[in-house]
Amino acid sequence: MIGLHRRPRLELMLLLLPGAGFLAALFGFPLLTALLGSFGLVGDDPALTLKFYARIFTSTVLLRSLATSLYYGVVPVAVTVVLAIVLALALRRHFAGRKLFNGLYKIPLKLPKMVRDPWGIGVIAATTWKQLPFMTLVITGAFAAIPEDIRHAARTLGAGPIRAFLRIELPLALPGITAAVLLTFIGSMGSFAIPDLVGAPNPLPLSVRMVRAFAEGDMSQVFAIGMVLSAFAFAVLIGYYALTSRVGTAKGDSR
Amino acid sequence: MAELQLHSVGKRFGDTVALRPTSLEVEKGEFVTVLGPSGCGKSTLLRILMGITEASSGEIVLNGRRIEALPPDKRDIAMVFQSYALFPHMSVRKNLAFGLEMRKVPKDEQRRRLDHALQICNLAAYVDRMPRQLSGGQQQRVALARAIVMQPSLMLLDEPLSNLDAKLRDSLRHDLVALHRQTGSTSLYVTHDQAEAMAMSDRIVVMNGGEVVEIGTPVSLYRNPRHVFTASFLGQTNLMPVEAGNRQARLPWGDVVPLESNHRGAAVVSLRPENLALTPDAAGHGEITAVSFMGAQANYVVRIADFNLKASRSGGEALLEIGARVAVSVTGPVSLLAETPALGRAA
Repeated sequence: MIGLHRRPRLELMLLLLPGAGFLAALFGFPLLTALLGSFGLVGDDPALTLKFYARIFTSTVLLRSLATSLYYGVVPVAVTVVLAIVLALALRRHFAGRKLFNGLYKIPLKLPKMVRDPWGIGVIAATTWKQLPFMTLVITGAFAAIPEDIRHAARTLGAGPIRAFLRIELPLALPGITAAVLLTFIGSMGSFAIPDLVGAPNPLPLSVRMVRAFAEGDMSQVFAIGMVLSAFAFAVLIGYYALTSRVGTAKGDSR
Repeated sequence: MAELQLHSVGKRFGDTVALRPTSLEVEKGEFVTVLGPSGCGKSTLLRILMGITEASSGEIVLNGRRIEALPPDKRDIAMVFQSYALFPHMSVRKNLAFGLEMRKVPKDEQRRRLDHALQICNLAAYVDRMPRQLSGGQQQRVALARAIVMQPSLMLLDEPLSNLDAKLRDSLRHDLVALHRQTGSTSLYVTHDQAEAMAMSDRIVVMNGGEVVEIGTPVSLYRNPRHVFTASFLGQTNLMPVEAGNRQARLPWGDVVPLESNHRGAAVVSLRPENLALTPDAAGHGEITAVSFMGAQANYVVRIADFNLKASRSGGEALLEIGARVAVSVTGPVSLLAETPALGRAA
């Protein structure tokens, strides 16, 4: 045993290398480059500047793009999470969700009418459509993990199906729902393809602006937009956590 | 009128019968145990009473009200689960108050009932703990208290002690009996543990193969069982084939014992180990083949007329040794048993 532990530090490093190294090289390094680049520190003529950020926060076009990004990020997730919970519950009941599934199949068929509408209904519908299977899968799992007895206990203690759901099942499934929201929100906020294809031409979300700036070769601007996008995504998630943890404690949750 | 009445309540899933039409009455304040091996239909009966499973037939009357068509929340039945089923995101206090809130019990009445339940279940020190911070025994006491505060017409207990270790199970069993005496709740206790059933119940409902085999007090079921299944499931026994007639039965080794029944022909009787007296006798028909000294008693296996008989003597008496010859005599009552239902599975 002693021999095995003689050089624990080195061995640990080697064992961590494939995972941590992968993250550092393919995620950490580009992130660092983007961060430095957004301050004008990458390129032929590096000089510290805030002008790329200033450009975002002073241009009404870019500010509206930021708002659009948040809108395209938050609304589809909100719609999806509600639909996914309904679906998860429907799936539990003798697959009564079949009717709903049939409806969902038809969403893409209706999409042409919603392309490039000013409210971005098309974008929301398409993003929801894209996110729903994953979200439903995770949330179904979260509800399935609640022991049947707990649900029955709530019912025998006088809670009808709705109150049993709101007071017992939903709080217990919340960690799973949060995980699903987190993973899908990151995707929907930064998503490029759907807004570019079916979104209104004006205002464009930041993700689309970013790609346009990239096409124009304005790399520092791309980096700055990316940083702002990430920061806001992060802020929304923090807000979500604050909200759900308060909901939890209001109902006696001390998680 | 009995507090709980079941009239021909049955359940079938397609062609499979989970519960044959069962009729049963439980008096107000009575503690009745439903006892049987797994798959005997007791869980189905429980789920039907709770309102989770719909009965295929029959009526259930609780406190003068038909309830078989009502959802669980409208039945006035509180349940104590084997898994405790505490709400993990709520403190002990909130767990106990949940049902009272749902039933819109006034606040001061809530507080009164809560304090009382906390006190009689010995939980006052744990009100603000979360369920995961409690031991198994404490969790089960919370589950009990949560049912007690509801003051239900019927209390259902589903193997509430089977997840606990033996020592804790013993002490909680006593607590349960004491609590029942204190609250006077009408209780239906479901278990597969015959010792638990014997120790706690006013009456026992013995179930096997989806139907009620026999109903009676622990003493009458133990001493005068009418079915092979009851005799072998409650405690230890020797099932002996006999030749009956003239209110007598002839045992395989020739002894003749009196019978209360006037049945004639081949039959089965139950001989409890403690009703067999062993006397050292060099000319006896029996031979001791195994001894286990348990302290309060000593258990023997006696080989006689090609049968292995279980017999027991007081632990205070001198031990008999393996190979010793003994005379065997029957000292207690002998019950003639109906072979139906399910002799094969029972014996």
